[in-house]
Amino acid sequence: GKNEYDLLVIGGGSGGLACAKEAAQFGRKVAVLDYVEPSPQGTTWGLGGTCVNVGCIPKKLMHQAALLGSALKDAQHYGWNISQPVHHTWSVMAQGVQNYVKSLNWGHRVQLQEKKVKYFNIKGSFSDPHTIRGLTKAGKETVVTADNIVIATGGRPKYPMHVPGALEYGITSDDLFWLKKSPGKTPLVYYSYIVFIKIIVYICLIRVSPDVSLECAGFLTGIGLDTTVMMRSIPLRGFDQKKQICFTTQQQMASLVTEHMESYGTKFLKRCFPTKVEKLKSDRLQVTWKNADLDKEETDSFNTVMWAVGRAPDTKTLNLETVGVKTNSETGKIIVDASEATSVPHIYAVGDITEGRPELTPTAIAAGKLLAQRLFGQSSELMDYDSVPTTVFTPLEYGCVGLSEEAAVQRHGSDNIEVYHAYYKPLEFTVAQRDATQCYMKMVCLREREQRILGLHFIGPNAGEVIQGFALGIKCGATYPQMMKTVGIHPTCAEEVTKLHITKRSGLDATVTGC
Amino acid sequence: MAQRLALQRLLSLPTRGPLASHGRAFGTSAGRRSTFNVQDGSDFQDRVVNSPKPVVVDFHAQWCGPCKILGPRLEKLVAKLEGKVLMAKVDIDDHTDLAIEYEVSAVPTVLAMKNGDVVDKFVGIKDEDQLEAFLKKLIGA
Repeated sequence: GKNEYDLLVIGGGSGGLACAKEAAQFGRKVAVLDYVEPSPQGTTWGLGGTCVNVGCIPKKLMHQAALLGSALKDAQHYGWNISQPVHHTWSVMAQGVQNYVKSLNWGHRVQLQEKKVKYFNIKGSFSDPHTIRGLTKAGKETVVTADNIVIATGGRPKYPMHVPGALEYGITSDDLFWLKKSPGKTPLVYYSYIVFIKIIVYICLIRVSPDVSLECAGFLTGIGLDTTVMMRSIPLRGFDQKKQICFTTQQQMASLVTEHMESYGTKFLKRCFPTKVEKLKSDRLQVTWKNADLDKEETDSFNTVMWAVGRAPDTKTLNLETVGVKTNSETGKIIVDASEATSVPHIYAVGDITEGRPELTPTAIAAGKLLAQRLFGQSSELMDYDSVPTTVFTPLEYGCVGLSEEAAVQRHGSDNIEVYHAYYKPLEFTVAQRDATQCYMKMVCLREREQRILGLHFIGPNAGEVIQGFALGIKCGATYPQMMKTVGIHPTCAEEVTKLHITKRSGLDATVTGC
Repeated sequence: MAQRLALQRLLSLPTRGPLASHGRAFGTSAGRRSTFNVQDGSDFQDRVVNSPKPVVVDFHAQWCGPCKILGPRLEKLVAKLEGKVLMAKVDIDDHTDLAIEYEVSAVPTVLAMKNGDVVDKFVGIKDEDQLEAFLKKLIGA
């Protein structure tokens, strides 16, 4: 018979909701399925997906909390009378952040209602290419049929399953943002000093970019918690050719960012990997690890152990094998073509679940919208994944757009590339007597006649705000001469981009001085 | 759910389920009798839709600042009316479906309900005079 819906979207996150709402604009009958499987620690959340609940939004807000802490320290130099040290209360920040996220959950729910998209809070799996069987939390079954189905279930954090105790005692970013109490013991009332709260974040840098872990470790340190980052290897030289996301394993940029974190108090255990996690009588966690450099086992106790070893696509319970949707055997992600189509007609996929795409909200949203326009709006426009700008919100932020230096060299050859770079000092750091050693930028250009800009990389405050504008220029094919003709705004950090002139090739000192 | 409510009213079915056995009320002693937190869909049905007295329904949320001001202000005025009007509080995160059913989009949203029908409504904060007029209209009309 006839299918109930024109479009069924599985997954109410950035990509899924955008696709559903756009399709509804064309007067189609659309339904969205969203379901959050509780984390091993029991954390769960509402409609909106990873970005809203356990990603971009809470992360940026907590990053802001940490930045405000730094600002308070700087404030004294600018004349403010603030008694140091200033203390941070996790529960106040967490409640503010969690309340805002809840308001977004509600907002999404209202939007679906307003756009006449049917919402089901059920966990869906395929029965056949046009039929989804869904289960409510209570176990009640619903069957939904649709002409077209979009899979947008995203991913969840991985656990290092081979480490005993990892699953039982560790948390991930899924849990961190929803903690009501500080990721450590709250100061014991009957002691007259603050108990130091120790957290360890383990990241495995083999395949993934370290941003989630470094961002979290960054703000945890910034709010005053004793934080250690353990990494199996130092950031790699290579890069992921398929993804070509500018920040992927950029050794130079990653090491500058981590250097900054180190100078601000984050501890790093490099070339170490955990072998087990045990719970002590005091409720603290004992972590044992192998130090590859010293070739010995070491151990220490922490209040919280957080894993940041990458994300796995949420496909296991979808029953993809039944309908024949092909996935990448290594990553488990769904294989799609340039039009987001899977190996099965009328079944599509967008967002983090798809192979070879950036794991970013804006690309998921854009891809979802364009897909709906192609399906129901007579459009043929495909998603352009080229020159997608992005930013890592570590204490010293790293923003970029276009090719990494390595990717440019791989594509064009080092003789055909010119890299302009500079170390600079933000004006605001001067009076505050802040160390600007890692404030750095580089622009990768073609060497031939036009000198088109291939990529721009910026480490410094407000990197995201700085890079956004330049992304337009790069999209339009801006060239080095055009950049040099662009007048800078003074005094800003961004203006230094328009003044880049020292090349890596020259070997000259790239430190620029202010006016 | 809307269909079920309409059907029940049509067939004048007796109230089902426990009558406010675990409803929490708060405020002054007069308030204790006239304000309650809605527990679930059938509780709403029993104590709001099927209420013999008019009910003011306050849709609110934890994360809503203005709600925290409007709530107590409204409760105080409802308490002064000594039982002529009841007040039901609905947390939209706990009862999302109910809120969506009654077309709540922003909070606070306050509905005036009489004999199961929505007879008046306002969104956002109101001052005491405005609230008094709202309540007067509900009892009077």
